[in-house]
Amino acid sequence: MVSDRVIRNLKKEFRTSALAKLGLVLVVAVVLVAVFAPFVAPHNPTTQELSQSQLPPLGFTETEESTTSQMEDGEIVTKTVKKRVEADASHPLGTDGLGRDMLSRTVYGARTSLAVGILGTLFAALVGVPIGLIAGYYRGTIDDGLMRFADISLAFPSLVLAVALIGLWGRVAVPIPDPFVVAGLVSDMPVRFTLPGTVIIVVGLVNWVWFARIARGEALSLRDQEYVKAARALGAGDGRIILGHVLPNAVTPIIVLGTVQVAAIILLESSLSFLGFSGTTLSWGFDIAQGRDYISSGQWWISTIPGLAIMLSVIGVNLLGDWLRDALDPGIEGEGGM
Amino acid sequence: MTLGRFAIKRTLQGIGVVWGVITVVFALRFVTPGSAINAVAPLDADQETRQAIAAELGLDQPLYVQYGQYLFDLVQGDLGFSYIRGQAVSPLVASKIPATVELALAATVVAIVLSIPLGVLSATRRNQPVDYGATLFSLFGISTPNFWLGIMMILVLAVELGIFNTSGRAVDVGDVALSVIGPDPFVDTLAGWLSYITLPAIALGTYFTALITRLTRSGMLDELGKPYVRATRAKGLPETLVRYKHALRNTLTPVITVLGLQLGTLIGGAVITEAVFSWPGLGTLIIRSINLRDWPLLQGSLIVIGVSFVLVNIIVDMLYAYLDPRVAYE
Repeated sequence: MVSDRVIRNLKKEFRTSALAKLGLVLVVAVVLVAVFAPFVAPHNPTTQELSQSQLPPLGFTETEESTTSQMEDGEIVTKTVKKRVEADASHPLGTDGLGRDMLSRTVYGARTSLAVGILGTLFAALVGVPIGLIAGYYRGTIDDGLMRFADISLAFPSLVLAVALIGLWGRVAVPIPDPFVVAGLVSDMPVRFTLPGTVIIVVGLVNWVWFARIARGEALSLRDQEYVKAARALGAGDGRIILGHVLPNAVTPIIVLGTVQVAAIILLESSLSFLGFSGTTLSWGFDIAQGRDYISSGQWWISTIPGLAIMLSVIGVNLLGDWLRDALDPGIEGEGGM
Repeated sequence: MTLGRFAIKRTLQGIGVVWGVITVVFALRFVTPGSAINAVAPLDADQETRQAIAAELGLDQPLYVQYGQYLFDLVQGDLGFSYIRGQAVSPLVASKIPATVELALAATVVAIVLSIPLGVLSATRRNQPVDYGATLFSLFGISTPNFWLGIMMILVLAVELGIFNTSGRAVDVGDVALSVIGPDPFVDTLAGWLSYITLPAIALGTYFTALITRLTRSGMLDELGKPYVRATRAKGLPETLVRYKHALRNTLTPVITVLGLQLGTLIGGAVITEAVFSWPGLGTLIIRSINLRDWPLLQGSLIVIGVSFVLVNIIVDMLYAYLDPRVAYE
């Protein structure tokens, strides 16, 4: 599965590629931030403090204009008061419309994105890989049926299908206790983390086809290899051949595809929560949607910051995917999409 | 196999997939929580009203009768009736198609016009600043959520500089065409149309620009290393002809296939781009139908999207077989 040669290739590619290093740094940073969110976030991301709302990020002082009108001597007099809104050092990235700390929300948003990206990809692989392996190994009717079904499911855009399924099934959210808070290591942070359950299932269901296709292709070419024939001649059963000989040799392209899929699913999750089809409000896409209402009044950072977070994480995952692909399997191009 | 037989075979396959698409959408009725009557009946309807609705919709019939009726209606272009809006679904969906097609085509034009020259430039000037720039741009392009890009463009170009419209589609491409012969001044109409379509088209097109730039670059690099390119150079063809007549043409065939397969991504992207720019198309219709729990309308829209995806891919495959005749013989 992971031979010395694979590790050697990975190291060699890593040494020569600056982009691979950047990708690894970005991904490790996002993972650490997501896991240790309660320690990284300076405030509770859900605490509203209306007196502190719409504070700009450090370094950006905003001027707020407010116009009031009152009656003076029987005439209406309008007064325009200009007020400077200073950034506050305890909110380095500013606050949103309800006075919640943007940095803390961005930190916690990483949890949602990563959880959906990784669990959704795992779910897609768990559904797709076995189906693909069986179809490719047995060929015939099963294979034809699978390929036709794959054609049908490709005819619906992932986002449209995901939105439709979530609309039909509802938004189920699973609250998970935060171990750091439960253990008493940090206080004043959300006790539970909300996992958008339906979103994970749905993004898995709309993306399994890519795994099925890759696994099928590998199984098709591996089933006629000499060592597989030898195993069959020795009397090994189909199950044993698939698990012991076909799967381990198909793992590399599946991992490469998996990385690309994590990036695609992070983007899909952000689209879904932007449209309001997520089960959680601690999500980058949700914050971008919230910030949209403040764009015309000048509070640009509420939408901008979570978008930058999405971009940096997806760039990181994509660079990691490029590194794995170049090192492990130069022959395939990544597939995927929103 | 000749091109004609290939076309027939591909069309028959396509019909099979269309049938599958229709059946999957029909089956969606049954994965909805609760019975289909709940989805259409008013919330306070009593038992008798429910039964009357069930009888009118044929929901009291056996499954195969329902399915047969559904197929029979579809063949006649009847996508059902939206009880929430009190309108037939087909004309409603049909009225939204032009806006989405216009947006999708505009994005595709943006993508093709920018990406192919950029990809070629990047491949022919490998490891030069242009190449690094293009690679960096592609990386950002495939990693940026298109809805966020749209909002950022609204922020900078529309709110700060005030040059574009941020929502709606008051002037469409049809108005521009009419103004050529009609009384409206052409230049003003064109400028009006551009002020609406430019931002959504760029927001939707950026991902594809990035994707096709990557494909064109790697494809060109592949082709330029092949023996036939050396042969054309050896016989003294100017480098421009070598690059654009020979290498680029062979690069473009896989690009076309990817474009066809990415049509789903394009339509999915259009749904969210429409939401950002309040573009009155199919995407906006779908989101609204879900929020109002208007299942007949949702099913109708899904069928239209699924079937157009299959049709476009048949056309793409034929185009591919025409450009690269070897495909039809495989």
